[in-house]
Amino acid sequence: MRTTRRQFFTLTGGALAAASLRLDVAPALAQAAPVKLGILAAKAGVLAPVGESGLRGVQWAAERINAAGGILGRKLELVIEEESSPKDTVERFRKLALHDKVDAVSGAISTGVGLALGPVAEEMKTIWLSWDATTQKGVEETMPKPKYSFRSTDNECEAVMASILTGRHWKGKFKTVAGINPDYSYGRDNWAAFLAIMKKYGMDVQVVSELWPKLGATDFTAHVAALAQAKPDLIFSCHWAGDTPIFMKQAHGAGLTKSTKFVLTTGGGVHESLKKEFTPEGAILGYNTFYFEHARASALAREFVRWHQEKFKEWPNYESDHGYFTIVAYKTAVERAARAAGSKWPSQDAIIQALEGVEAESLSGPRRYREDHIMEATFFQGITTHRNKAYDFVTIDPVETMTTRQIQKPSGVGLYDWINGWKV
Amino acid sequence: MLFLVAAGLQLVFGVQKILNLACGSFYALGAYAGVSAVTWALGHGLPAPLFVVALLAGGLALAVIGPPLERLLRTIDGRDESFQLLLTFALVLMLEDVIRFVWGPAPVQLRGAYLVYGQVTVAGSTVPVYNLFVIAAGGVIALGMGLLLTRTRFGRIVRATAENREVAAALGVDMRRVYRRVFTLGVALGTVGGALVIPATAAVSEMAIEVIVDAFAVVVIGGLGSMRGAFAGALIVGVLKAGAIATWPEVEMLAIYVVVIGVLVLRPAGLFAGATP
Repeated sequence: MRTTRRQFFTLTGGALAAASLRLDVAPALAQAAPVKLGILAAKAGVLAPVGESGLRGVQWAAERINAAGGILGRKLELVIEEESSPKDTVERFRKLALHDKVDAVSGAISTGVGLALGPVAEEMKTIWLSWDATTQKGVEETMPKPKYSFRSTDNECEAVMASILTGRHWKGKFKTVAGINPDYSYGRDNWAAFLAIMKKYGMDVQVVSELWPKLGATDFTAHVAALAQAKPDLIFSCHWAGDTPIFMKQAHGAGLTKSTKFVLTTGGGVHESLKKEFTPEGAILGYNTFYFEHARASALAREFVRWHQEKFKEWPNYESDHGYFTIVAYKTAVERAARAAGSKWPSQDAIIQALEGVEAESLSGPRRYREDHIMEATFFQGITTHRNKAYDFVTIDPVETMTTRQIQKPSGVGLYDWINGWKV
Repeated sequence: MLFLVAAGLQLVFGVQKILNLACGSFYALGAYAGVSAVTWALGHGLPAPLFVVALLAGGLALAVIGPPLERLLRTIDGRDESFQLLLTFALVLMLEDVIRFVWGPAPVQLRGAYLVYGQVTVAGSTVPVYNLFVIAAGGVIALGMGLLLTRTRFGRIVRATAENREVAAALGVDMRRVYRRVFTLGVALGTVGGALVIPATAAVSEMAIEVIVDAFAVVVIGGLGSMRGAFAGALIVGVLKAGAIATWPEVEMLAIYVVVIGVLVLRPAGLFAGATP
């Protein structure tokens, strides 16, 4: 997610111009041909489980759309490539655009990759619908007005929501805080946002320890020892990958979970691995934009959760929903543009125009793309509990929701300017 | 546990002159095998406090991959070192894919074992008893290796081979057998190390690369081919890491490499260079 997302490079366009020309020349043939979507899904390393999750959401969306007749009668065909380093991922993006001549590309989780992909999508004139990768450098947006890139929600949304919840639940109940966050921009920006919001809320917190383990670290014993020595009232962590349960397990082993408050902004990404035996009750835990057991979940979400559990024996996480939304948003935009174009397959420019402001039903309720191509969604966080019969891992109760209208900086505004402008 | 991986690396290098990057993969494989073995054993009625037996058995059982891998590496025996690096690095990548194929891309953790022995509070800090067990196990293995190499016939042959393999061969030592055994022992050190560490962490497919980097720092500090060097190097790296994190987290990696550079400049062969393997 959030951190390693995105980057790219470029080549010359022309392939897509040729493709649209072909549509003009032989419309009947083109109607029957499948819509090709390139997919970039991480398959290795610390991103692999998340990439796999996104891919499942995309495949489920494609299966359903095809079963219902496709988009304007054209079936969806997925061309799946791997998201890895920014450089390699850019080359695969180019291959998808030039060789496979895909209609659009969906995918990418890492902001490192996203930063590279953004400019290349523009150069290749190929629509790119990101799952989770942003084009942010720190908390700053690097592409305020892209044409072809459609990005995820901002990296720091979860920290903003968790900080608001921290203020709501624990104001006045803690004094010293420690941060342990993965050492890259996502970790550093989330920690900075948390401290800024604590200050804005007039909570006079004192930072007693700041730790920056490597993303994907497998040993936290030294970090845990440092935390035990610093004795913070509250520990803030935005770990989201397989390192999260390792940290919690070792923190529990050292007795940290007895009285310390925990804020885990993003741990819901690996929610099934947060076993009750080492994850305490009463912690703030974030699930990004999808909570698998939401009491008010739609019929669509319930159907997906059931399918996912039956097929993979796992309860889904948010990345499936990001992936799912990119596909249904594309379909909705094509159909909207087609209505304006007299039911013909619309031009790419018309699809892009229709994607701006498009709203579609995702697994977690309505989502949309803002006019500046940033996703708007609902976030789910809550207080951990062991009182669930069905699972050996923690869930949250109560479940709190906030939308990006509340926790995402508006278009064109700096994060800290926005936070400082809040009325509290 | 870094010591075990580094010791395996040292042993194989000392005797066979092979710089085995795949030592990190043995560690990763041992971790996964440990999870599978313990999960299976607990599922078949093994009492929880005995889980370490299954854990060690899982780690040791994996040493069976030693002989076939040794046979593969023998094909490049005596050729340029770059071949060794390429071949053993290829093994790292292949074994990583094997792990992903068998256990999947998601991290695998061992349930309910870490705190079976409870926790103790020493000087105000709480430590799981299992951590103490691992420390003790590392010491016992180090001692055992020392005795094996200095007090047994096998150890004498191994040391003789490390010293001068032509002379050892001329004196009637069956090189192939020694190589096969030494390599398998090196594999076992890695897999047992991986298995021992797993209750406190989770197995991830890329853990091989992570440990290789640390193991090389250990080897450079301690001196290539030296068992005592592996022990001292692992201690130095471990203490440096912990100290850096407690006082100045930013320099965690830097501190280790400053020492590595210092050793390379002042004592290029390492602190314990020239000692017996």
